[in-house]
Amino acid sequence: MTVVSQDTELAIDARGLSKEFRSVLAVDDISLEVPRGRVFGLIGPDGAGKSTLIRMLCTVLEPTSGDAFVFGNSVVSNPHEVKPRIGYMSQAFSLYGDLTVAENLDFFAELRGVPKSEMAARSARLLEFSGLTEFASRQAQFLSGGMKQKLALAATLISEPDLLFLDEPTTGVDPVSRREFWRIISDLHRHGITVFVATPYMDEADRCDEIAFMTQGRIILRDTPAGMRRRVPGRVIEVAVDRYREAMTLVRTLPFIRSVEVSGELLRMLVDQDACEEDCEVALRSTLEGAGFSVGSIHPAATDLEMAFATLIPAAGELLDTSDEEILAVAE
Amino acid sequence: MRRILAIARKEFIHIMRDKRMLGVILIMPLLQLFLYAYALSFDIKHLPTAALDLDHTEQSRQYISALQQSNYFTVNRVLNNYGQVDGIFKSNQDQVVVVVGSGFGRDTTAGRAGAVQVLVDGSDANSAQLGQTYSGALSRVYGAKIAIAQYEAKGASVSNVGALTGNTRVWYNPEGKSAAYFIPGLIVVLVTMVTVLQTANTLVKEKEMGTYEQLIVSPISRIELMVGKIAPWALIGAAEILIISLIGIVVFGIPFRGSVLLLAVASLLYVICTLALGLIISARATSVEAANQLGSLVSFLPTFMLSGYIFPLSSLPWVLQFLSYLYPARYFMVVTRTVFLKGGGLSVLWPQLAALAVFAVLMTTFAAFLYRERA
Repeated sequence: MTVVSQDTELAIDARGLSKEFRSVLAVDDISLEVPRGRVFGLIGPDGAGKSTLIRMLCTVLEPTSGDAFVFGNSVVSNPHEVKPRIGYMSQAFSLYGDLTVAENLDFFAELRGVPKSEMAARSARLLEFSGLTEFASRQAQFLSGGMKQKLALAATLISEPDLLFLDEPTTGVDPVSRREFWRIISDLHRHGITVFVATPYMDEADRCDEIAFMTQGRIILRDTPAGMRRRVPGRVIEVAVDRYREAMTLVRTLPFIRSVEVSGELLRMLVDQDACEEDCEVALRSTLEGAGFSVGSIHPAATDLEMAFATLIPAAGELLDTSDEEILAVAE
Repeated sequence: MRRILAIARKEFIHIMRDKRMLGVILIMPLLQLFLYAYALSFDIKHLPTAALDLDHTEQSRQYISALQQSNYFTVNRVLNNYGQVDGIFKSNQDQVVVVVGSGFGRDTTAGRAGAVQVLVDGSDANSAQLGQTYSGALSRVYGAKIAIAQYEAKGASVSNVGALTGNTRVWYNPEGKSAAYFIPGLIVVLVTMVTVLQTANTLVKEKEMGTYEQLIVSPISRIELMVGKIAPWALIGAAEILIISLIGIVVFGIPFRGSVLLLAVASLLYVICTLALGLIISARATSVEAANQLGSLVSFLPTFMLSGYIFPLSSLPWVLQFLSYLYPARYFMVVTRTVFLKGGGLSVLWPQLAALAVFAVLMTTFAAFLYRERA
C-alpha cells in the first residue's frame, strides 16, 4: 500500500481548528504544532474544550472549520490514513465490560489489523507490561478502576500506534496506579511514540515535555514546564507562621507579595523582589512580628505549575482543579 | 473480512453472556407461540350445543350422536320444540342449536339431502362463524346437504330467521384450524420483534458505553461494521424461523406444502429488512430506552396491524392499506402463509420476493447512509 503522505516531522499540525456545538464554541480557532516524539500535555479547567480538541484530532468529531494534519494526513478529508496510526483512550472506560481482558485485547487486535502471527506475543507482552496477566480471563467490568485504565491503554497500544491520544487517563485512579500508568507512558516515550495527553493534574503536566494551557476553547499559553515556571515573575518562599490564616490576610496587603496560598501548615507566597526596598524576607518577618505573629523559618521554595498558572493566567486559579485550599492572586 | 468476523464474534459473546437477552431471544418467542397458538386459540372445541330433533328417526339420532362424537360439539340437551331455542340462547346455555328437520330420515334413506338447520348465537361472532364452519364440515362428512340459518340472539325472534342453503367450503384449512392460519403469521411477528429490537439496541449501546468512539478510531468501514453487527442476528433470526416452523409442524400439526428453499430465501430477505430497520433506529436514537421504545413501536404495531396477521388487509381503511405496502411484513406474511398452507411456488410468489428484495436493498442502504463515521 503506497501512502501519499510524506512523513513529516510534525505528529500533529492543527490549523484554525474550531468546533461549535449548538452555537457554543467549544474549540475556538486552535492552531497547534506538535513535533514527533514529544509527550505533549494539555491542561485547563473542565469545559475548556480539551476533550473536543482531542476528539477532533483523532477523527471522532468533525471540525466545524479548520483542519488538522496527523503525520501529514488531514483528519477531515483523509481520516482513513490517520486511523491506523493513532490510538485514542477516551475519558470514560471504553471497552466491553462483558468481554474478558484477553477478549478485549483480541477484539481490538483483529479490528485494527494486527498480523495474526504477532497477536499472541503482543497481547502477552501488553498484559505483562500492564500487570494484567493474571486477570486475562476476568471480565473487564469486574476490574478495579486502575486496572480498567491500564487495560484500556493496553487495548489502545495493541496496534502499536505512532501517536497516542489520552484524555484524562488517570481521572479517578488511585495514586499508585497513576504512578504506574505514567511509568508506562515514559516507556512508550522512550520507544519514540508521540503522546498527546489531557490532564487536570499539575504533577502529570510536569512530566510532559511541553504543555499547553487551554481555557474557553483557546490555547493561551504553551511552553515547557520549566519555561512555564521561569515565566513567573518573582520567586517563591515558604513561611512558617502561627495563626497562618490571619497572617495570610495581612500578607496579602503587602505590596511586594504577588500571591499567597496555604500549603500545609505553611504560607507559600510569590514575592516581587523589585518591589522590596531591602531583603524581602527581612521585610516580611518584621511586618509579621510587628503585628504579633510568631514567625518560624522563611525559606525559598520551587515554583510549582499550579502557582505558575495562578499567576500567569488571570482568573484561571479559580477554574483550576486545585488540591490546595486557596490560590489568591493579588492585583498589582 | 477479518474485521467483520471480529465484530460478529464479539456480538455473539455479548448475546451469550447476557442472560436476559438470551431469554428474550429464546424463551419469549416460544412463550408467545404457545400462548397464541394454544391458550388464545381461536379454535373452538366442545362447543356447547343443543339438538332439536323434529324427525325422531334412527337416522336423526345417528346424526346427533355423530355431532357429539366429533369433539367440536358437546350436545348438552335435546330439545322438543322451537320455542325452547330462544330461551337457550338468552340464558347463554348453549351457543349452537342444531335442528334436524322432520323428514330427515326419510330423505336420507331415499338418497336425497336431508335438511339440517344450524342456529348459531351470533353475539359471539367468532364462535358463530366457527360453529357454522364446523357444522358445515360435519354435514359434508355426514353426506347431507344442510341449510344454514343464522340466528341473532339479541332481539331477533325465531320467526325472522331465514333458512338459507349454504355450502361453505374452506380451502387449504378445511377444519378451520386457527393454528394453521396463525403460526405462519406468528413467525413473521416474532422474528420482526426479536430482530428489530436487538439491532435497534446495538449501536446505541456502544454509544452509551463509549466503545463507539473506539470503533470510529479503528480502520473499519461502515459496511464492515454493519455486516458484522447484522450477521449474528441474521443467523439467530433464521434459527428462530426454523424453530417456530418445526414446532408448528410437529406440535400443532400445521401443514408445510411449499418449498423450504423459497421460504429460506424470503426469510433471509425479510430478516435483512428488519435488521436494517433496527440499525436505522439505532443510528438515530439518543439512548437505549429511546431505541427500545421506538423499536417496539415500529416493529410490534405495524407487524400486527399492517401485515394481515390479524385483520385482513382488504378490510383496513385505505390510508392503512397504503401504509401496509410500505412495510415489508405484508409481503413476508403472504409468503409464509402461501408456502405453508398452499404450497405456492416462485410463479405465484415472485412479486412478494421482488418486493422484499427491493426493501432489503433500500433499507440497508438507508441504514448505511444514516450511520455516521463520526460521533
